[in-house]
Amino acid sequence: MADLVSHPDEVRVVSRRFGMGATNLDRYLELDGYKAVQKALGMGTDGIVNEVKNSGLRGRGGAGFSTGMKWSFVPKQASKPKYVLCNGDESEPGTCKDRLIFEHDPHAVIEGVVIAGLAVGSHTGYIYVRGEYRYLLDIMQKAIADAYVRGFLGKNIFGSGYDFDVYWHGGAGAYEVGEESALMESLEGKRGIPRIRPPFPAVVGLWGGPTVINNAETLASVPHIILGGAEWYASLGPPKNGGTRLFCLSGHLKRPGVYELPMGYNLRKMIFEVGGGIPDGRALKAVVPGGSSTPVLKSDEIDIAMDFDSVAKSGSMLGSGGVVVLDETTCMVKFALRTMKFYQHESCGWCIPCREGTDWLKKTLIRFHAGGGVNKDIDNMYYLSENMLGRTFCPLGDAAAMPTMAFIKKFRKEFEDHLDGKPCPFEKAGVVESVLA
Amino acid sequence: MADVNITVDGKKVTAPAGTLLIEACKSVGIEVPSFCYYPNLSLQGACRMCLVKVEKMPKLQTACTTVISEGMIAITDSDEVRQARKGMVELLLGNHPLDCPVCDAGGECELQDMTFSYGAAESKYMEPKNHKEEQQWSPVVYFDRPRCILCYRCVRVCGEGMDVWALGVQNRGVGSIIAPNKEDHLECEECGMCIDICPVGALTSGAYRYKTRPWEMNHVGTTCAHCADGCKTTLGVRRSETGMEIVRGDNRDKSGINGDFLCIKGRYAFDFANREDRFVQPLIRKDGQLAPSTWEEAFELIGKRFKEAREQHGGQAIGVVGSNRTTNEENYLLQKFARVVLQTNNIDHHRTADFPAFAAALRGKPESTASMRDVFNAPAILLIGNDPTEQHPLMAWQIRNNVRLHRAKLYVVNSRDIKLRRQATGFLRIPKGAEGRFAAFLNGDDSVAENLRPVAGTGADAGESRATTQTTPAGFRDQLRSEQNLIIIFGAEIRGGDIASVVKFGSGIAGAKFLYLADYANSRGAADMGLYPDLLPGYHPIADSGKFHQEWGGVPQTPGLTLPEMVDSARSGKLKALYVVGTNPVGRFDIDPFVFSQSFVVVQDMFLTETASLADVVLPAANAYEKSGTFTNTCGDLQLVKKAAEVSGSKSDFEMIVRIADAMGADVHKLVPFGRGTAADMGQSRGAQSGEADRHSVWLEAHGLEPKMSPFDPMAILDEIQRLVPGYEVSRMNLLAGNDQRTSLVGRASGAAQNPELIAPANDHLFSSGTLGRYSRTLNSVMENHDQQPAEF
Amino acid sequence: MPVLQNIAAIAKGMSITFREMFQPTVVENYPDGPGPLKGAIFQERYRGVHVLQRDENGLEKCVACFLCAAACPSNCIYIEAAENTAEHRISGAERYAKVYNIDYNRCIFCGYCVEACPTDAITHGHGFEIASFNASDLIYRKEQMLAPMPAHMGANAVFNRDEVAAGAPSLPVQGS
Repeated sequence: MADLVSHPDEVRVVSRRFGMGATNLDRYLELDGYKAVQKALGMGTDGIVNEVKNSGLRGRGGAGFSTGMKWSFVPKQASKPKYVLCNGDESEPGTCKDRLIFEHDPHAVIEGVVIAGLAVGSHTGYIYVRGEYRYLLDIMQKAIADAYVRGFLGKNIFGSGYDFDVYWHGGAGAYEVGEESALMESLEGKRGIPRIRPPFPAVVGLWGGPTVINNAETLASVPHIILGGAEWYASLGPPKNGGTRLFCLSGHLKRPGVYELPMGYNLRKMIFEVGGGIPDGRALKAVVPGGSSTPVLKSDEIDIAMDFDSVAKSGSMLGSGGVVVLDETTCMVKFALRTMKFYQHESCGWCIPCREGTDWLKKTLIRFHAGGGVNKDIDNMYYLSENMLGRTFCPLGDAAAMPTMAFIKKFRKEFEDHLDGKPCPFEKAGVVESVLA
Repeated sequence: MADVNITVDGKKVTAPAGTLLIEACKSVGIEVPSFCYYPNLSLQGACRMCLVKVEKMPKLQTACTTVISEGMIAITDSDEVRQARKGMVELLLGNHPLDCPVCDAGGECELQDMTFSYGAAESKYMEPKNHKEEQQWSPVVYFDRPRCILCYRCVRVCGEGMDVWALGVQNRGVGSIIAPNKEDHLECEECGMCIDICPVGALTSGAYRYKTRPWEMNHVGTTCAHCADGCKTTLGVRRSETGMEIVRGDNRDKSGINGDFLCIKGRYAFDFANREDRFVQPLIRKDGQLAPSTWEEAFELIGKRFKEAREQHGGQAIGVVGSNRTTNEENYLLQKFARVVLQTNNIDHHRTADFPAFAAALRGKPESTASMRDVFNAPAILLIGNDPTEQHPLMAWQIRNNVRLHRAKLYVVNSRDIKLRRQATGFLRIPKGAEGRFAAFLNGDDSVAENLRPVAGTGADAGESRATTQTTPAGFRDQLRSEQNLIIIFGAEIRGGDIASVVKFGSGIAGAKFLYLADYANSRGAADMGLYPDLLPGYHPIADSGKFHQEWGGVPQTPGLTLPEMVDSARSGKLKALYVVGTNPVGRFDIDPFVFSQSFVVVQDMFLTETASLADVVLPAANAYEKSGTFTNTCGDLQLVKKAAEVSGSKSDFEMIVRIADAMGADVHKLVPFGRGTAADMGQSRGAQSGEADRHSVWLEAHGLEPKMSPFDPMAILDEIQRLVPGYEVSRMNLLAGNDQRTSLVGRASGAAQNPELIAPANDHLFSSGTLGRYSRTLNSVMENHDQQPAEF
Repeated sequence: MPVLQNIAAIAKGMSITFREMFQPTVVENYPDGPGPLKGAIFQERYRGVHVLQRDENGLEKCVACFLCAAACPSNCIYIEAAENTAEHRISGAERYAKVYNIDYNRCIFCGYCVEACPTDAITHGHGFEIASFNASDLIYRKEQMLAPMPAHMGANAVFNRDEVAAGAPSLPVQGS
């Protein structure tokens, strides 16, 4: 169990019950638990969808698509059963927020799933938990069992006459399954490989039925929106970026950890005030703002508001909220290599550019970092990433290509310093491995 | 479906809604490259080669997964698109070994073509390629893993197309590999489709591996010599010491009735032709031993003995047995020779289906037989008896893929849980031998319904089939009655009067068509050409021999002996001579060899079969891959047989029949109407390099100059067949151009005078092919392999 | 004085003759010259009888890809390929040429085969004395064109000097 951190600037919505023993159902009920569902039962389908739409809640998984909008795409009438999926396959390096939600507030996720189910008229929900989070499965399993015992799940929930079942499912350890259609394949018992779209999951999803799939944090936010109201939630962040967000600060920081901050919080403030700045008075070199798949920001690019639109404007992405801080002792080539090792290992192998591209990038970077690089390697790596970008079957290829291109573009000098058999200038001080363990 | 207008590279394209962009481009001649896309297989979007620019889309789109929409503007040829394709080829070549000089696919490799088109031959990488060892998956399938580009075509064709699911994918990322689903070997039907469909040389054929290169061979598209489905197989032949040797069989241009399909027999079982123990010179029995001889001596002897038999004992003292694997022209010539020269109606063949009864039942409905292509498009199919997966692989493929792609409804009636039940909407299991009763039941005889209950303990396995409800025979029949355009396919379990019952039932269904399953490559042709003691070509009864009588100048007027009657006649010493052409009745029907000790037996065959070993004269015959002519498949599709190979020392059955007639002093001009009404083609004959000659003959035919200058030219007798045999009035032009032509089955009033008990289905399975199959090393090795690992289908 | 003029002319002519008589010879003294080539001297680029090369392990370089046969304008190369096995390894790749014949009745020594060869297996040697009274002698088999085993592979049986003396197939004159 991870220690919790806090900061006065935090606005606790999703993390409101963290550290308060809310895994216990009675304790959860004391903390306004399951009130949102009961409220939602009286709101009607459109009522819930509109409330969520108005709250400005955008998907917390990385793409930042409006949640209410997503729900409204699900057809009202369908010949096949509809499903609600909670994507808890949190695997993005630098991101560790869903883990805390599952650990401290599993019932909020269940509640969110049920509300989503009410919103789209589904009777079945699945909570997919990342394979490596084995210990969280026990918590989730118990929470679901408890909810069934009280009649919060199953037949006739809360005496409303509505049936809703929730199942948990553990992954088998694949980053790729974080992609929604791959998650469905995995859930159906197949290889976790993304599907061709269209049709989109909202129309043809799990077992061919219309499916809503949301990130665990998104779903955990929903009960708070229903209870607190859309206007209150929207007012927490800048326009079109409603609410708060769990930011996972990691890397060279004095106080790393998961902080819930309003959307649009300044990145520099986040690093130097919330995260306590860089230890030992070292200088900042770069920041990865939203998990390892987002392009890196240089130290002079961090005066930005952390919301989806502002970060996009700066040429990166808010992604999954994993802020990785790198100080001056970090070798960017080694960091790029470590990132690429991850993507090479996690590529599902379905399409050519990702399967072959990540492998060659990794091979080249290994040699390059070891001092065997030649000048044209730098351009070759950039060219290779360009060939991958936007041409892969799913976003994993982009996730591997975008940061690589950013590393080369923004830190070309460091790449050039590795040329001609020179040893890595940062070799002694390198602590990258511990950052991205 | 409504048409949709799109613009591709400035060209206006109109295609039905729902068409994929890649297909729409193809329809106007714009090629969009792809590896993983394959028509009629599920979409993959994995190779990313077909990326095109679609206006209003931020990223390049895969043409193979994009469905066209009204007003779509696509660009398939811009710098961006070309660069994307080049990038893909570069990435593919990164780990692809550059062993093109030894790779079997070199010269016909899609990756090579793409590299030539997009120019990515120079590697940007310095690291070593990932290497993996080559594996042998079965006697006929090898897998060279580094060459694989993971297009998943093999996985899909095996699963979706063949319903075998022997292949899958292991590992992930760059370590992904195609692998058999059963440990390290394939448990499958050994069809070799995975090899055919592989765009590179990753999957290679055990029969062809490392033997030669594609451009070193001549490729001759001909009709398969094995089962009665009549697949087109393309034989790769090259020079050898004894003529032309077949090196490879495959489905090269996919233009035949079989489309993408070819089974193990069409692909590998040509190897009987290359066996060392083939006859390459005539043998004459001297002092009880078969001794090598010369053609002149053999023909002289045969002519003398046949003439003696005819003159001293009359035509009824001579018997003739024809074959299911000789061409229509040979069969026609053989029966004409028997009736005109030998003056006997004692002619028979190994009957594998009751075509005379079928023809009689279809009297007045000549167009109601279904073609092989119809089976792929019919909305509903009823299959009674037989197991097409084993005995008619192409038929099974057509049915299976019709169900998969067109949602056709399949109804299966069988005494066993045949594999096609998995595609069936309705499956009715009946007791063994009850097919005839079922036919009567279909026709409204409810009294037999009780006898159609499956044997206790072996009930219909509804769990395995798509059939949702346990059907009763009555419910099953009602369902069938509600269908339209039903194709009724039935095996040789149904014969005689039962065929009439089935046809009568079908007549009550709008647009119903019928298909009768015989067993060998030209079983239907042998029946159509009149290899019967009581039927002339076209199922004319002997009594109704009018036009043949006129044309041939006399036909014996009494029906002859059937094969068992010939045996009896030989036993009693009455049968003085027996002429066996390309068949093995002694082995097939387990005839006591001493029966023929009083008869003069002439056998034309390739191998020392049970029949050949008791012959007085053995003539080395060419097989169907070594001669020209036509085959009629079991559906009545007439196809050209082209000469591909040649083994010196053998002659075609056609030539041998003519030479025997000549040796008997018959007028060869009357037997084969050659040299009539034609201008010369300057001596051009159909030689080993037959491609050119056949193109030439198309031209000649179009100008009314078809070459028929030789009495050994089967085309000469095709004229007469087309003139005299009803149902064979097809377009010669199309036939010679290599297209399949429909013959129709024209029934006669009294055609059903046959004895159904003479029908002996071959009961071959996927890896056997009558006597011929025994001489195929590949089939034998696959069978041995499967005995060790019993297959589950 | 025509006589004197004639004598002078003869003397002038003979003086050239006598002067050249003591100059070094410029023509090649073939076939009476020294060495195995009997005085013939070749440019490096000379295209003579083909030599099928071996790699450093003594394996044949030819992998029977048929590209030489495809490139040959006079269609004089005949190849039969076969598969290498672990016990019977002839070439470095999966396939080797079981039969490799060049018909020198037809060969025009254009060098296209050498250019087409992806493994540098076929090269032009400097052999040129191939005239024969029998046309069938001009079809050279692989054994006649193969390069000898590298010196360090001398133990190879077929090319062992003693065995050649005892009647094993020997090699024709190789390139310079």
